[in-house]
Amino acid sequence: MIFKFANPLKFQRFAGKFQPVFLSLSLLFLILGLFYSFFRSPPDYLQGETVRIMYIHVPCAWFSLMIYSIIAVCSLFSIVFKHTLADIISRASAPIGASFTLATLLTGSIWGKPTWGTWWVWDARLTSELVLLFIYLGLILITQSYEDRTKGDKYASILAVIGIVNLPIIKWSVDWWNTLHQPASISKFSSPSIDESMLTPLLIMTLSLLFFFFSILLMRIKAEIIQRKIDVIRFNRVNQ
Amino acid sequence: MINDFWNLLKRELKIGFKDFFTIISFSSFFLISILIFVFAFGSIPIEIGMIYKPIIWVILIFSIMLVSENFTYNDYLDGSLKELQFLGYPEEMIIFSKSIVMWLMIIIPSLFLVPVSSIFFKLSLTDSLSLFISIFLASPSLILISLVASLFSIQLKSNKILQFIIIFPFYIPIIIFTTSIGHNQDKLYDNNFLILIGIFFITLPISLLTSRLIMREINR
Repeated sequence: MIFKFANPLKFQRFAGKFQPVFLSLSLLFLILGLFYSFFRSPPDYLQGETVRIMYIHVPCAWFSLMIYSIIAVCSLFSIVFKHTLADIISRASAPIGASFTLATLLTGSIWGKPTWGTWWVWDARLTSELVLLFIYLGLILITQSYEDRTKGDKYASILAVIGIVNLPIIKWSVDWWNTLHQPASISKFSSPSIDESMLTPLLIMTLSLLFFFFSILLMRIKAEIIQRKIDVIRFNRVNQ
Repeated sequence: MINDFWNLLKRELKIGFKDFFTIISFSSFFLISILIFVFAFGSIPIEIGMIYKPIIWVILIFSIMLVSENFTYNDYLDGSLKELQFLGYPEEMIIFSKSIVMWLMIIIPSLFLVPVSSIFFKLSLTDSLSLFISIFLASPSLILISLVASLFSIQLKSNKILQFIIIFPFYIPIIIFTTSIGHNQDKLYDNNFLILIGIFFITLPISLLTSRLIMREINR
């Protein structure tokens, strides 16, 4: 199944079909999520209305890590199997991941002002998230800096694989160090410490952003495949 | 294998120490940079003493970054990097020999300069010693990372900025642990020394493997 779509041309057709579906689903869940976030979930007893930023902040933070994991896996796949589609997915994902990381930092900052009394603290979680943004920027710059696309992709793959050391640091920074940032409320190993009335909009917004990510990713992959085709046509014309 | 490594090391040592000017210019850079911080921050001993360690680390990081390019870029330009690979020397060995010579050329002078400069800042003997040990332990990791970053950006014209962006996230753990050494006053032993040794043993295989991958890509 995976290898059937691993061909860039077949994947382009798949992307063409599914991209509008994902975008529609994203919009549907966004409307539902916003409704639940604003009208169905109560304000926090301590933070008041500002807690609603969580419905954007937390999914963005999850996706900033998830997208980097996708990039790292694709990069490893690219180094080992030298597959073009893995390079394309990594290249297409990096700016989206950087945007999610930036959104996490911005929304966190907006949330931090009323709750912590400051826009920014050099807290372990915040700093490691900022480092993740710099790794994303490094990846984007390295892919863009080389005239030869394949060379840029290869270097970016290597950098992405080394950069994975930062992921566990971000994930468990709040558990390892005594930080201002609260520990995870939703864990795989224990029942969530968040009330259901807040968990529902959070999960709906997560689904919305997930489909939004898939939609943008497919759009970028399609554009990247077309760009590569143009490059090949140009190269062939020059060499004729 | 050992002969190959010895040949590479001799080559790097000859190239490195042939130009003795690099060591003198590095030492001058080190001392002048400290002066710049003093002029910018003020000359009150207590205040300047507080930021002495960060100053030293900032200077050391910048100097390692600036010098690392010479070790890879010159070899890339004159084709000797490709030639060494063509002759069958393992890429890991090439980078490892370079890192040893770079450590000898940069860190040994700075280890002499640190106690001298700490006199200007009225640092206690324990503080100077802990800084000395932390530089000794952290510098191999810093050098290996900077060599990998210089290989990443070797084929680019605007490589300095990219090199800094690539290096920066990977230097952070080292800087966190080195600058937190010595917070335990009047005690020379610190657990962070062990962490620095641990970081080195993680950095060494990863950076050598990464350099191998990049060098193969450079000559493709």
